[in-house]
Amino acid sequence: MRKKIAILLLLFFLSGLLGGCWSRSEIGEEAIILGTGVDLTEDGLIRLSVQIASPGAFSAGGDTSGGGKEPPAWVVWAEGETIEDAERYLAMKVPRRIYWDHSIILVIGERMAKRGTEMVSNFFLRTGEPRENMWLMVARGEARDILQAQPMLAKTSAQATGFLTRMKTGYIVQIWEYAEMRASKGVQPVVTGVEVQDFGEGRGPGQGENSTVQKKVELSGVAVLKVDKLIGWLDAHETRGLLWLKGEAKEGAVIVPSPGEPGKEVSIKIRRSHTKIVPEYDGENLWFNVNIYVEGDMVEQQSRVDLAKPEQIKALETAMSEEIKARTTATLEKAQTEYGLDIFGFGNAFHRKYRKEWREMQNHWDEEFSRAGVNIAVEAHVRGIGLLSMPAGSPEK
Amino acid sequence: MLEHGKIDGKQAIFLMLSVVLPTAILTIPAGIVRTARQDAWLSVMAATLAVLLIAWLVVSLSLRFPGKTLCEYAEEILGKTLGKIVCLLYIWLFFLYAGSGAVRQFSFFLVTAMMPETPIEVFSITVVAVAAYAVRNGLEVLCRFNQLFLPVTGLLAIVFFLSTIEMKPARLLPVFDAGLLPIVKGTVMPTMLMGEIVLLAMIIPYLNKPEEAQRIAILSALFNGFVLTASTLEALLIFGPDLAAHWIFPTFNAVRVISIANFLERLESVIVAFWVLGGFVKVGVFYYVAVLGSAQCLNLKDYRPLVLPVGVILVSFSSFMHGENIVDMIYYISQIQVPFMLIVFEVGIPLLLLIIALVRGKGGQSS
Amino acid sequence: MLKFIKPRRAGMMSRGKSQSRDERPTNKPDQTVTSGGSSKKQVLTPDLETNLREIKSILNNCSDVVYREFVFAQNEQLKLALIYTDGLVDNAQVSDQIMRALALEVPMSVPGQQITKARALEFIRERGLCIHQINESAQLEDIIRSILSGDTVLLVDGHATAIINKARGWEMRSITEPEAETTVRGPREAFVESLRVNTALIRRKIKSPNLKVEALRLGEVTDTDIAIIYIKGIVNEKLVAEVKSRLERIEIDGILESGYIEELIEDSPWSFFPTINHSERPDRVAAMLLEGRVAILVDGTPFVLSVPTLFVEFLQATEDYYHRFLFSSAIRLLRFLAMIITLTLPGLYIAVLAFHHELLPTALLLSIAAQHESVPYPVIIEVLLMEVTFEILREAGIRLPRPIGQAVSIVGALVIGEAAVRAGLVAAATVIVVAGTGIASFVIAYNLSASLRLLRFLIMFLSAFLGLFGLISGLAVIGIHLCTLRSFGVPYLSPLVPITGVNLTDTLIRAPWWAMFYRPRLIARQNQKRLAQGLKPSPPPSRRKG
Repeated sequence: MRKKIAILLLLFFLSGLLGGCWSRSEIGEEAIILGTGVDLTEDGLIRLSVQIASPGAFSAGGDTSGGGKEPPAWVVWAEGETIEDAERYLAMKVPRRIYWDHSIILVIGERMAKRGTEMVSNFFLRTGEPRENMWLMVARGEARDILQAQPMLAKTSAQATGFLTRMKTGYIVQIWEYAEMRASKGVQPVVTGVEVQDFGEGRGPGQGENSTVQKKVELSGVAVLKVDKLIGWLDAHETRGLLWLKGEAKEGAVIVPSPGEPGKEVSIKIRRSHTKIVPEYDGENLWFNVNIYVEGDMVEQQSRVDLAKPEQIKALETAMSEEIKARTTATLEKAQTEYGLDIFGFGNAFHRKYRKEWREMQNHWDEEFSRAGVNIAVEAHVRGIGLLSMPAGSPEK
Repeated sequence: MLEHGKIDGKQAIFLMLSVVLPTAILTIPAGIVRTARQDAWLSVMAATLAVLLIAWLVVSLSLRFPGKTLCEYAEEILGKTLGKIVCLLYIWLFFLYAGSGAVRQFSFFLVTAMMPETPIEVFSITVVAVAAYAVRNGLEVLCRFNQLFLPVTGLLAIVFFLSTIEMKPARLLPVFDAGLLPIVKGTVMPTMLMGEIVLLAMIIPYLNKPEEAQRIAILSALFNGFVLTASTLEALLIFGPDLAAHWIFPTFNAVRVISIANFLERLESVIVAFWVLGGFVKVGVFYYVAVLGSAQCLNLKDYRPLVLPVGVILVSFSSFMHGENIVDMIYYISQIQVPFMLIVFEVGIPLLLLIIALVRGKGGQSS
Repeated sequence: MLKFIKPRRAGMMSRGKSQSRDERPTNKPDQTVTSGGSSKKQVLTPDLETNLREIKSILNNCSDVVYREFVFAQNEQLKLALIYTDGLVDNAQVSDQIMRALALEVPMSVPGQQITKARALEFIRERGLCIHQINESAQLEDIIRSILSGDTVLLVDGHATAIINKARGWEMRSITEPEAETTVRGPREAFVESLRVNTALIRRKIKSPNLKVEALRLGEVTDTDIAIIYIKGIVNEKLVAEVKSRLERIEIDGILESGYIEELIEDSPWSFFPTINHSERPDRVAAMLLEGRVAILVDGTPFVLSVPTLFVEFLQATEDYYHRFLFSSAIRLLRFLAMIITLTLPGLYIAVLAFHHELLPTALLLSIAAQHESVPYPVIIEVLLMEVTFEILREAGIRLPRPIGQAVSIVGALVIGEAAVRAGLVAAATVIVVAGTGIASFVIAYNLSASLRLLRFLIMFLSAFLGLFGLISGLAVIGIHLCTLRSFGVPYLSPLVPITGVNLTDTLIRAPWWAMFYRPRLIARQNQKRLAQGLKPSPPPSRRKG
């Protein structure tokens, strides 16, 4: 009996083998997508552009027998009513199965973002194949151009952009993080901005004459969304303020005027920081106390003052606080006055503290936020001054 | 006696973990977060307390009739006809229905999350076939197999859950956001799913130390509660209450976004593969108690001839009794299965049996 | 050969299972010795000529049997005859200690005294022979068997009893280094083909009176000596009885290697997994005995069986116990890893390449995709191609004479692997995977790795069919199967499952000797403690102060 069952089982599996392997797709039969872009065309259609890696260009070991240089990626696009519709049209152009899992970035074109990002993100969150931790960004201009740019140090623009985001220099967001902001009433979503620029003058040797105009991708500030529609941008400076207020300024530097020698600057590299938002509400007035704590190391000094002294370090710390305060205030003002949107998550902080009041305030939170007062207090510390104690030739004392 | 094997306390606890967790870990977070929002984990903890009561009830009942399973002592308490009816109700509406529900959830999850092009029957037949192999070899083998893989899976899960950097405790605040009512509402579903440890009533006679049953039931309820609380917390800490309620399987998505040091990522299929082992055991236990109960009900000498027919029933139930799509399935779980199973099979009948047994003075040593 | 077997089989069937053990020796001559068909037990007659004629007729056409007739030095009327098989006896002993003693030297020791025919046998037994071990027998069957086993039979005229002299001595392989189980550290001796030498090798390690060596003969035609060895007081008596009853059940024409017995007494004949272990190392067998196991030695093979066998044994090498424990534990874990690789790596590779591309980092995925650009086959075919090639190469390497075997491996590794990649038949990654799997399979014990190699193909098919789900389903079935297995009543996976806490010290890791207090609990049931408490070395008290 046991043998019979075993044989039956075996037959079942083997017959399955003959019948076909349903979800099987061989690695050589797939178009591996590295980057995805979604634009809105002039006619109101959705244009899905994908950057497909051509594996030949990625083969290791440098087998030179292959003929010529294969371009590392192919950017191809199709238009349709919905993203899936466009994908079906795309499938008519791509001779392989479209495979999303390794897509690193999802770029939404500016016009598309103005129409609504939710239309885009829904497809990518619902179908299982594209990943929730794709980097989401909004292009200044067309998303397709981002995918077509040819960067240095990485083979494709999608990879380059992926590495750029991982450096965490700007504000970066994965698609599920965007979805969380989108779902929450206490914060408005902000998404990384990205744009294409020419390489310009600083070209490397040997790349001058015969190459066509190469383009590079650059992170540029963040896109501010109202609910899910793009309504404006923050530039790189304002993005720093956003990072401070969101408590995500973990990297980067603060440039402050040097104590004792106006006009010259000192750079302090951020090592550690955190931000605490304390809402206060007395039934009428709403205000927020934002406490920013930051530690950094001095890495550069233009002035010739001897800063390796306790009082100078104190002065440096004060300058640092001022600088950060100025940055954050500027961003805050823009959000409150120009956009009238709580992009910092003050609402969530308020919710945590005043859960009863939040229940009726959540529906007109953005107005409440715009009216709210904000006190920003920065506690800055300079921990290290590098390997130099004083600059060469500084006056002896 | 139909089953000659004996299992020890550790194996019984492990078995109860596998009975509850494999499907509960997927369905519970989404179900509760929708009602109780960021307090969902409190719901699970409250449910754990409720399950302790259920466990106590069932075990006290079983301990009054040493060496007998639920199906056997139902006859002793209620008389032959009524007892057999209760026994059949349990087999068809609880063991087989919930068992086939587990097969359905298991297969649906695999189809939705991993292999959308594959016919769902492939998964349901495979899981029942593998479970059948274990069931044929008896309780002992089922328990040993469970003991073999569960520690590995548990270890893997813990490592992964702990290594997430995305967690933010602030996402759990404020506590008691919407008051107590949503939390209480949220307890119903986890209570029902964790209440599946009433299957112990069929297994207690085969413990090598039946006097440990009370301890086993309590420990397994606590462990289950702990793991489910942890997984609900995991989903909440990563996604927050707003987004967690949007996913169908938040735990799965949580595993998907985890990335350790930028290279240990996208490992969800490995985690799912290990989770599948738990699915085999869960289905196996329901399968086993259905087969054992039927054999006892029919006064058979050997339960093995029933393995094949019951397997066929499980597969067909899973295809026809749980709706046509995943929306139906979730609806059935939350609207039908939860109240019905909980009230009738996990609390109602055992309580009734205990009361009648006490009134009629049936059953020997009460603990 | 068939002639011997057929009537036996028929007899078995007609008699059924009720046949009693006692009948066997009586039945034996029917089949093996006499061709005439007389079924009575044959005994010697007092007449030498008749006896010789009888023996010659039985050993008809056996040109290797030597008959040497001579007269007794003390009584020239007394005829004696020596019968032995040439090549199985120690010629020097037979000539010096038997022939010379009886034909020449007896008068010197007993001057002037005629030994009568009637007293001759007693006299020869007590004073005439210089042989260390002698027996007497009147049974023709015993005598024939003794002759063929290498004993020298002395027939004395007028006596219906033969003296059987153990003057065995034949050409045999000397004790050499183990071939299959080599070690860096540890004894350098291995069992040989002679049963007696093998028992001596074990006895030399365990000088306890409790080391019992029970003898048994199996095989209708070959009449092979078997020894059951165990340590009384440690071994579970029921186990010994079970081993004996399983062995005595065997009715077969011949046993040429312990593998015959292994297949005839194992618990799960259909299983892929070996439930009886074998070894050619006396130290390993001694260790097994000390853990309460029973060893079965078979004459004619250096491979000794030991039962019961646990799954973890195949991950344990003798050497583990000789090296320091940290290193040994690391090696154990490595072996465990190798076992998993042997079983699953090709399946995993197929599953990842055909179903779960997301598991690969993007860069690796692109690199592997590039390799597969030119490969025309699905990955399962590709892996199968390489796996089968590899298995053929491995088999060729084992069968061929050693110098050529190495050439085969070079051809296989370099030429086929490299050329197949160049030709675009397989991807380089596939070659790496197959080679890695092959190397991993060398790390674990041969008989386990043999079964894993077979199961690996099952896993590969399942993976090609359902991806990781298929792979894990296959592993689940294997896992359940392992849980059902028992070896002589002991769960195969113990002490891992069911967990026996105190025995986990010697499973995936090896605890230091001062911490391995107990024998395997499920094997040695009564006498478990093997080590005194508090043996952990520590510095002497005088040095602790300073």
